[in-house]
Amino acid sequence: MDCKTIHKDLIFYLDNELPNERRIIVQKHLDRCTECREFLALLQSEMQIFSDEKNPEVSPFFYTRLSARLEERQEYQPQNQWVRLVQPVIFMLILVIGIYGGLQLGSNASNSTTNQPATRSIQMLDDFEAEPIESFLLEKL
Amino acid sequence: MDELQLIKGIQQGDRKSFQQLVEKYRQLVMNTCFGIVHNRNDAEDLTQDVFLEVFRTAENFRGESQLSTWLYRIATNRSLNFIRNNKRKGFFQSIEEAFAGGRNRSKEISNYQADQPDQKITGQQRKEMLHQAIDKLPEKQRVAFILNKYEELPYQQIAEIMEISLASVESLIHRAKKNLQNQLYECYKKKCI
Repeated sequence: MDCKTIHKDLIFYLDNELPNERRIIVQKHLDRCTECREFLALLQSEMQIFSDEKNPEVSPFFYTRLSARLEERQEYQPQNQWVRLVQPVIFMLILVIGIYGGLQLGSNASNSTTNQPATRSIQMLDDFEAEPIESFLLEKL
Repeated sequence: MDELQLIKGIQQGDRKSFQQLVEKYRQLVMNTCFGIVHNRNDAEDLTQDVFLEVFRTAENFRGESQLSTWLYRIATNRSLNFIRNNKRKGFFQSIEEAFAGGRNRSKEISNYQADQPDQKITGQQRKEMLHQAIDKLPEKQRVAFILNKYEELPYQQIAEIMEISLASVESLIHRAKKNLQNQLYECYKKKCI
């Protein structure tokens, strides 16, 4: 069996996951192949890193920090929740009022333009016609 | 105090129950987060986020699965999200660097190692190479592999955490190992490790 085929099995060989027959074949190959033995040693040292990295140290102030973050969160949360609920409602109200106001203004403006001919038709009060200047002067005399 | 009592206490806002839960499970969560993000400080911050989420969403825990399964699920999701966000940031940073004439750090490492094949690499560099190889695995393969390697969880529990079948877990871990081995072999051929 060639080295390429053996290389594919080495990680499973390390983890004892090969069937017995296959394991014997790999073992025999390893006994006579330096390159495969080297790669196996490398794989072994890489897999050892997993064991070395297990259980990384947790800071002794872990719970103190966590507790502080929890309190911070609880202090902010009611306010945040309130803001989160009320803010969109306020924005919606402003938007609706704005749209309603705009529509009202628009309809008033259109009413005023439609009323324009009617206002034009109203006769302006003519003071001179109502009270001619001659009669006014005569009254003064 | 058993798991359900702890959760009931937390649901009622009892800080002592919460503290007990943190003390009992912080190493489990830390291990999982560290396995995915490979940085102790980031893993610790993520562990805190996980417990904050537990406190906030304790009422959603119905006790249908083990508490540890729930914790593993939150921890893996949080860690994967953290990596996705970092990748997104990294993408924009790399664009910025490209415009500024900078270079990618990971490329620098592999180039450095390829340039100096005879130089013995340090343990730290070896770790970085392994982490890079793990990070290249597809997400599901990575999670299944890490839960199996760092936490030594049985396939059945991994299946419960990932909400997939036992056969899928077996397949994921098998493919993860093959991919990892291929990447390490590539490195071995290039003499970068």
